[in-house]
Amino acid sequence: MGSVGLTLPWEHRISPVAHQGVWRVQPAEREPGANPEDAALAAACLAGDLFAYERLYQWQGARMKNLARNLLGTTSDAEDAVQETFLKIQRSIASFRGQSAFVTWTFRILVNTCHDMRRSRFRRKEQSHEEPEDMPKRPEPRAASAHPALRLAVERALTELTQHQRDVFLLYEVEGFRHAEIAAMLEISETASKNTLFQAKKNLRQMLEAPRSCKAGGGV
Amino acid sequence: MNMACADRERIFLDGTAEEWVALEAHAALCEECGKEVRAWKSLSAAVEELREYRHSPELWQRIATSLREETGKQRAKEPLWIRVAIWRNIPAGWQAALVGAMALVLAISGVYVTTHRTPRDPGAASRLLKTRDLVDVEQAERAYVQAIDKLAADARPQLDDPTSYLMANYREKLMILDSAIDELRAQAGENPSNRHLRNQLLALYQEKQETLQEVLETKR
Repeated sequence: MGSVGLTLPWEHRISPVAHQGVWRVQPAEREPGANPEDAALAAACLAGDLFAYERLYQWQGARMKNLARNLLGTTSDAEDAVQETFLKIQRSIASFRGQSAFVTWTFRILVNTCHDMRRSRFRRKEQSHEEPEDMPKRPEPRAASAHPALRLAVERALTELTQHQRDVFLLYEVEGFRHAEIAAMLEISETASKNTLFQAKKNLRQMLEAPRSCKAGGGV
Repeated sequence: MNMACADRERIFLDGTAEEWVALEAHAALCEECGKEVRAWKSLSAAVEELREYRHSPELWQRIATSLREETGKQRAKEPLWIRVAIWRNIPAGWQAALVGAMALVLAISGVYVTTHRTPRDPGAASRLLKTRDLVDVEQAERAYVQAIDKLAADARPQLDDPTSYLMANYREKLMILDSAIDELRAQAGENPSNRHLRNQLLALYQEKQETLQEVLETKR
């Protein structure tokens, strides 16, 4: 696993978080199945109420698109994945048993949809004899950022992680899901989720660390 | 709470809030731990760059249109006999009896047609004679195809589950097997007596059959 070579002392360019878990999900989302809005939304979707799907989109759409964007690399693919996820929710809502929160279930579908899309992209590339790639090496540019170099470095480092590490890292650190929820989404144990996150962060840290030569030279 | 440098990684992996407070107190006095804790926390802050939550009303319009289309398609797919209100009002026992009677009529008609029809071309059978081995192989292939079709029909509900990470992997494996089978069948069509191709094809059929059986076993 190679270093992406961020040449600046990145750990000092951003304000450190005040407390671990600062971006965890809102209290209303914390107890799987305990959120009345979540359960009511599931029931309304099951009844085929299009307005319920719109409420789900208003509530989680931006977050779904952000996760898909980070998993697939481009906004257009992310939008396709979110659209496909809503279709799959509609097709399989009858099989939702409430064993996890409705939101957790929808994100589980989203993650699987992103994997399916990535695999089919990989197959298309293989069939057209282009060089296959797991993730775009140069993710599509996004809106202006306060730390563009850091963003680029983080995005590139993510492409070097294993699929599992990337999923867990993005779900926990970026989207704020708890390990119990991630475990339900990825069909793994909570311990496996914690271990995978730890390994992902270790790898990312290693990749994002400034090369020694730059440190010695005082950075750029 | 006493804290030592050796506890650091364990707390990074799965520390409680209390342990984090103790680690930070320790890190204020320990240069090595101070550096590690700062770097670890900065990594969480770096993911801020991966958050871009923007609502996109256009995307919702796309999703709403596709959801409406899907609802229309699902209704159109329902067989006429399911949609006919009179059939729905018949008790389940009577429905089963009617289906049984229809199956019996079909079976009797089949037997009658088979026993009373005259062969169109009596010489056709002799022209289609092949070597004994080839006939055996083709019989084995037909048996596999029949068994696979049955297994595939049984496994479809599980395979179509969009929420299952495991099923996504099985879908991927089956897709690869299907594409290999199609390719080999095309080659075997051009050269039916090629023993190597036929053996490879049989091996792929066997693999697909075993994969479908594995899918069904996950249900038990």
